[in-house]
Amino acid sequence: MKNGTNPYIPYPATVEETWYETGGDRCIKTFKVVFDDEKVRKEWSHLPGQCAMIGVLGIGESMISISCSPTEGDFLRFSVMRMGKVTQALHQLEVGDKMMVRGPYGNNFPVDDWQGKKILTIGGGVGQAPLRPIVEYVKANRDEYEGLTMIYGARTSGDLCFKGEFEEMSKCDDLACHLTIDVEEEGWGHNVGFVPQMLLDLNPSPENTIVITCGPPIMIRFVLENLKKLGFEDEQIYTTLENRMKCGIGKCGRCNAGNMYVCKDGPVFSYAVLKEIPEAFA
Amino acid sequence: MSAMLLNKEKWPEFVGKLTGKKVWAPQADSEGMRFALLAEGEAPVPDYNNTRVPPKGVLFPQTETMLKFQVKATEVDEPELDQETVVLGLRPCDARAMAIVEKLFKWDIDDPYFIKRRDMVTLVGLACNDPGLNCFCPSVGGSPASTEGLDLLMVDLGENYLLEAVTGKGEALLKEMGDLLSEAGADEAKEKEKLVKEAEGKIKRTVDTEGVPEGLPGLWEDPLWGKVSASCLGCGTCTYLCPTCHCFDIQDEVEGFDARRCRTWDSCMFGEYTLHTSGHNPRPTRKERTRNRINHKYSYYVDKFDVIACVGCGRCSNLCPVNIDIIDTIRQVKEAL
Amino acid sequence: MKMDLEQLRKTAAEVVARDDVKYLVGWKQGTYGYRVAPGFVEDAAGAAELIFSPLCTANLATYLTLVEELPIPRGQEPDDRKVAVMVKGCDSRAVTQLIVEKGIKKDEVVVIGCPCPGVVDPNLLAEKYPETEDQVEMKWNGEGFLLLRGGEETKIARDEVLAEKCRLCRYPNPVYSDIMLGDPVEPWETDEDKGVEEVEGKDVEERAEYWAEQFDKCVRCYSCRNVCPLCYCQDCVLDRLNPTWVNRAVNFSENTAFNIARAFHLGGRCIECGECERVCPANIPLGKINRKLAREVRDKYGFEPGVDPDAEPFQASFKPDDPEEFIL
Repeated sequence: MKNGTNPYIPYPATVEETWYETGGDRCIKTFKVVFDDEKVRKEWSHLPGQCAMIGVLGIGESMISISCSPTEGDFLRFSVMRMGKVTQALHQLEVGDKMMVRGPYGNNFPVDDWQGKKILTIGGGVGQAPLRPIVEYVKANRDEYEGLTMIYGARTSGDLCFKGEFEEMSKCDDLACHLTIDVEEEGWGHNVGFVPQMLLDLNPSPENTIVITCGPPIMIRFVLENLKKLGFEDEQIYTTLENRMKCGIGKCGRCNAGNMYVCKDGPVFSYAVLKEIPEAFA
Repeated sequence: MSAMLLNKEKWPEFVGKLTGKKVWAPQADSEGMRFALLAEGEAPVPDYNNTRVPPKGVLFPQTETMLKFQVKATEVDEPELDQETVVLGLRPCDARAMAIVEKLFKWDIDDPYFIKRRDMVTLVGLACNDPGLNCFCPSVGGSPASTEGLDLLMVDLGENYLLEAVTGKGEALLKEMGDLLSEAGADEAKEKEKLVKEAEGKIKRTVDTEGVPEGLPGLWEDPLWGKVSASCLGCGTCTYLCPTCHCFDIQDEVEGFDARRCRTWDSCMFGEYTLHTSGHNPRPTRKERTRNRINHKYSYYVDKFDVIACVGCGRCSNLCPVNIDIIDTIRQVKEAL
Repeated sequence: MKMDLEQLRKTAAEVVARDDVKYLVGWKQGTYGYRVAPGFVEDAAGAAELIFSPLCTANLATYLTLVEELPIPRGQEPDDRKVAVMVKGCDSRAVTQLIVEKGIKKDEVVVIGCPCPGVVDPNLLAEKYPETEDQVEMKWNGEGFLLLRGGEETKIARDEVLAEKCRLCRYPNPVYSDIMLGDPVEPWETDEDKGVEEVEGKDVEERAEYWAEQFDKCVRCYSCRNVCPLCYCQDCVLDRLNPTWVNRAVNFSENTAFNIARAFHLGGRCIECGECERVCPANIPLGKINRKLAREVRDKYGFEPGVDPDAEPFQASFKPDDPEEFIL
């Protein structure tokens, strides 16, 4: 095997910037990385929704969604929650350190099919990470889409990711950004309440609209219920799934939900497909 | 090339001519029979029912180094892959399993380890004249003399082996044997046909799989899964001994400054297999795991690759410690449809 | 053998009819040949399928701790009813040891004791009397066994197919039970433990070579651990990845670490039911390791696990005069 033909080989990328999105035990740290090898950098191409296997040699790899849009530049961003062995090791990386990356994996949001439509993203907690590329992609291709509405919530204001990016969004008239937290906090100038309720309150029209939702399973369940109440069709609703993964290329077996491999057939699924898979929301 | 004959007395010479290649063959040890590498000069006659552990490890070792590297480095090395290899006397079901698994390892992106090994291996099968108690290959599209996945098929005709090349690799191997072989005639072809028919007749435990792949998803909430899995111990016997089970784990191992990324067989019957780091498990009990195992073999794999991922070798039925018997399970599925 | 099937099934039906019993685990006819399967019985119809025969090798006590509990949905009460289990003499020692270790509580279980004249080794049986797809019936018959298959009766001498664990068995009658079925059997003269002695007789290098060859076959399916009634940790140290105590790699070093760790964790706890050895797909003689450790504990500390439900657990107790010649 020559280098380049083995899909399991990860490539070194240097951490250019890193910062904490949230605090606490399960804190989320964002990494902006750039591949060391120019050829790898040039050949890499991803679309919103795709993932990559990132890790540290000698520790292991984890499948993490790419949290930037290709329109942002020749770099990758990952927002990683500190959970297990690999993510603990990733969190130790600082600017100048090396992260090993392979990918991109999985399908992507069908952004081309969505041209001319209104885009509504509904995120909760770290679930905003796979939605962020969509937001950025639509922002960068404003003429192609009818507009963008973002609903994003977390338990507290400290649990919201990408906080610095919302201000600018709310200044544009074809972009709307609605933030919510579970419990009132001093100085919080936005909504208080759960995401599904906020969706009902905003009462978006299903007409010519695509909804993408990602967040904790309980949130997704009620968001789906409320979307139906608002008259959205299954085909208009998209989400991304996650499961334990090892290979990322449909070989190792474990990430299947029913007859779908999340790493290859997903992670992006329309609700019309997902509701036929009994295991999808297990 | 037409079919050839090898007198059994010349078997050691036949094996001897394979020098320079790695040769796997069934050998007896305290486990029973298992595939092992032959040492120089060894030529055990493949007279056996089947091995406990299937020969899938020739292409997909239970443990293999994927990448080698130094701790804290960013450069990785790939291992040298094996030299040319011959597997002698594997059963048609096990060869068929390799062909079935190859579909997944080739799906869209090649798995370089499996595919490279497959390219370097010549599979010499031995038709079953005397199938075992739990053999049910005809129920799942196989046969005691199936050539699927094989490069060369041997049939035990008593005094001679009948050798039929299936692929170019098989023909090349026959050519290497030169005058060790003689041409087979119509009598031998007839004899083979008779033996295969007899072998098929000896298969007593069968199951009708018609409609099972399409029907399984509809049985998701059926009480049969609770019944079938009630006694399951959650061990890896059924999956590790299954010739089509191909799931693996990837772990990094460090020893001093040397480290490797290593893959090992994994089992969907282990709770940890799908356990998220958060503690959430989409398949929390043996019921969900058993249901997934059967669905994967008899429905999901059919959806994806158009073939049932079970070759009817009977190992899981033979060796399940608590008599979870796949023939019986599929019969229950069939009844519930 | 005084216990008859009718009595067994009647008792089982009565037990599962009780309000405080969730289900009963017993033995039932398997799907073919010599196979016997664990049966989970919830009603009289299920009780009518139960059997007790020389083919009932499995130790069902393992199911007392194997249950995977799902979180109880809000508003629902936990099901605190008892689980009933049928045990032979050896199996009852597992229940006793579980009680000693507080792995289970006495009032969580209903133990139905079955005095056992000894079971067969299914491999030996199949070797001498080839297994067919036909279901069989097997009975104790005086000193031996009777095999009934397809209208034919075959008398089999006890020594010919008796399981090794039974040759060494000193507790054919359940040592602990809530309900006892039938009359006690007369304990028999036990054989010398030739398996262990043979290995003890080897010198260090030969022993290392012997076990290297055995552990080399291990596929790490964990059936030995999972079937073991006394391996009931919810989170086994050998599964841990963070930190990784034993690598997933299957090789001599990791296989040895796995098997030795398990043997030591069972020292003074193993009740010699032989299940690990029965289920091993690689035919590793695990019984020899466990019996060796049991013998050490018996000889050095005078302790035998699983015979007294009020005993102190061996690995958690200490006496000032404990021998310590192996401690450096």
